[in-house]
Amino acid sequence: MSPELLFQQALNGLSFGALLFILAAGLSLVFGMMDVINLAHGAFYMLGAYVALTVVQRTGSFWLALVAAPSALGLLGLVLEPLLLRRLRGRHLDQVLLTIGVALVVVDQIGLVWGREVRSLPFPPGLDASIAIFGSVYPVYRLFVIAFGVVLAAAISVVYRRTKLGMLIRAGVQDAEMLGALGVDIDRLFAITFAVGAALAGLAGVIAAPVFGMQPGMDSDGLLYSLIVVVVGGLGTLGGAVAGSVLVGPIDTFGKVLFQDFALALIFAIVALVLLLKPTGLLGRVRIAR
Amino acid sequence: MGGFTKENVLAAKRGYTYRITRRQFLVATSAAALAACAPAAVTPGASGSPAATPGKALKIGQLLPFTGVYAELGNSMRRATELYLKQNDQKIANRPVTIVYEDDTNVTATGIQKTQKFIDQDQVDVMLGVVPTPLAYGIRNAVHAAKLIFIDTNAGGNALTRDTPDCKPACKSPYIFRSSFSSYQISYPIGDYLSAKGTKEFFLAYANYGFGTESAADFTTGLKKNGGSVTGNVAPPLGNADFAPFVTQIKNQPTKNVYSFFSGADAIGFIKTWNQLGLPAAGYKMYGAGFLTEQDVLKEVKDLANGAITSLFWAVELDNAENKKFVADFQKQYPLLPDVFAVQAYDGMTALGEALKKIGGDTSDKDKLVKALEDVSFKSPRGDFTFDKTTHNPIQDIYLREVKTQGGQTVNTILDKIAKVTDPGK
Repeated sequence: MSPELLFQQALNGLSFGALLFILAAGLSLVFGMMDVINLAHGAFYMLGAYVALTVVQRTGSFWLALVAAPSALGLLGLVLEPLLLRRLRGRHLDQVLLTIGVALVVVDQIGLVWGREVRSLPFPPGLDASIAIFGSVYPVYRLFVIAFGVVLAAAISVVYRRTKLGMLIRAGVQDAEMLGALGVDIDRLFAITFAVGAALAGLAGVIAAPVFGMQPGMDSDGLLYSLIVVVVGGLGTLGGAVAGSVLVGPIDTFGKVLFQDFALALIFAIVALVLLLKPTGLLGRVRIAR
Repeated sequence: MGGFTKENVLAAKRGYTYRITRRQFLVATSAAALAACAPAAVTPGASGSPAATPGKALKIGQLLPFTGVYAELGNSMRRATELYLKQNDQKIANRPVTIVYEDDTNVTATGIQKTQKFIDQDQVDVMLGVVPTPLAYGIRNAVHAAKLIFIDTNAGGNALTRDTPDCKPACKSPYIFRSSFSSYQISYPIGDYLSAKGTKEFFLAYANYGFGTESAADFTTGLKKNGGSVTGNVAPPLGNADFAPFVTQIKNQPTKNVYSFFSGADAIGFIKTWNQLGLPAAGYKMYGAGFLTEQDVLKEVKDLANGAITSLFWAVELDNAENKKFVADFQKQYPLLPDVFAVQAYDGMTALGEALKKIGGDTSDKDKLVKALEDVSFKSPRGDFTFDKTTHNPIQDIYLREVKTQGGQTVNTILDKIAKVTDPGK
């Protein structure tokens, strides 16, 4: 592999990793707080992409879609948590099962509303060009995805460490019951967490749509990749989501090119290896069974 | 939804629920029981395949995907089937037609179960459909053993209509016909054609699954016939999301002509990334099997695909009377253009219809129907249509097409025709 090729593939891997981070952050957040693996996360990701498609078709603005789709998904999360998940609080496996149901309903509704053809979102004006770096042209949009991922990680980190909401989330992750005993409205906090998780999935859907397009089945692809990221990086921590996506993105990219017959097996081999050596994931916290 | 009938809602408003009395229940159930007994009384000793006389309903099973990645293919083929029936007053050879649609959900095991249901429970007279090749291979033995006439309206795996050692992974059957294509037909001729015209070196990019590898191999054989060669390949997994790694590989190798086999979402991802990474400007040229630039892809990528050269047995722009009528009728019925999958299903129904007309609609003698299908010859939207008597694969013209944007519409323009391509199966 020549240095130029290596560099281009590294950029490909990093931009894929950045997208994976946006996708996995929400899944990890919801798990950290609520102890629920939200298996509807992939469906939320898909819904985000389709909402963006409608917004772009109606208004022509990608940037509006980038705000509208996560907002819509956030609202959906805000409704679903009290309506469904709250009723099964404390029964984690039942809640996981419930999220599968939510995923099936959401995906089927998408099929009814938007149809089942393959679709694609145009690149936003201004980011549809390619620029020269190191003697080769590279798409601006993919550089934008890397930048967006970095900024989002920084923003989440600031909210986590410097704001009251972040403090509550950190406390909730440690011990939600105790937090409730201290007078914090846990119901509201859980609803907000779930809504933010859904909004992040929707955001990932919008960012991914111009590159990957939309089709039936994208929900399970999205869910699978975000699960791989959080399992490798460690569930429930921001650092884990960052570490997981920075590793999985480039490994997936180089793996597919170098060992194309084992492309899919390679990524699962990594998952198996991490689980063997460090069952909590690279940066996962040790969970005390409750 | 049934719960919200007018009566129920009214009743709920008045504060009582709409109930069925015991007497109503008894009357209804005994009537249903009687109705269930009735057919058995009419055909004593129901023997599995009651003698079909003209005028009796013709039952056709269609196994298609209505959910999953290929859902839109299933929808398209269903639309074409219903268009054919509408044009023929819902009748074939004076027999009213019932179609039993089943959804394979894009799971091979489910598709095999549904086929068994066609055979045992529905006892269909003829079966059509099947999109993925693995499913077609999976049901081959069951269909063959049951002597169920099956017209494959999509799956293109070569083995389904060939004589293969030990019948692996599948082999031809007298009861299996194909109204679509074999992967040889959409891949070998273009390789042969391009190398004969002097374009001899190609780099390959194809979806890494049975049909993609088969297509790439057939293209390579065609290329080598005239001294052409393949300089390398990339093979992304089927349903690959990110094409940048693969297009980057293509861009960092010197062969400018790239033959690719992708369809649907993969094709869109490949073409968009190809442009994003600046391959047209770097002098790279895109070739492929026709699905790379079919309408589902072109309506999303538009002029990004301009200049791509692909081969297929049909194009919506094809200039013949049957195609013009087909496209117009389809558009009258549905608010969209027909695609190649619609043509395959439409021709499957037409072939069946033509064969049955010749033998008075009799489906009881399977061998007679096989013979009639073998002799079928009609003008399809794709041109002249006949089955190869040896393989039951269609003999058809293959068109070389180039993507161009004309008057704001991106279309496949016909460059050339390779006449009467026959699959080499024995």
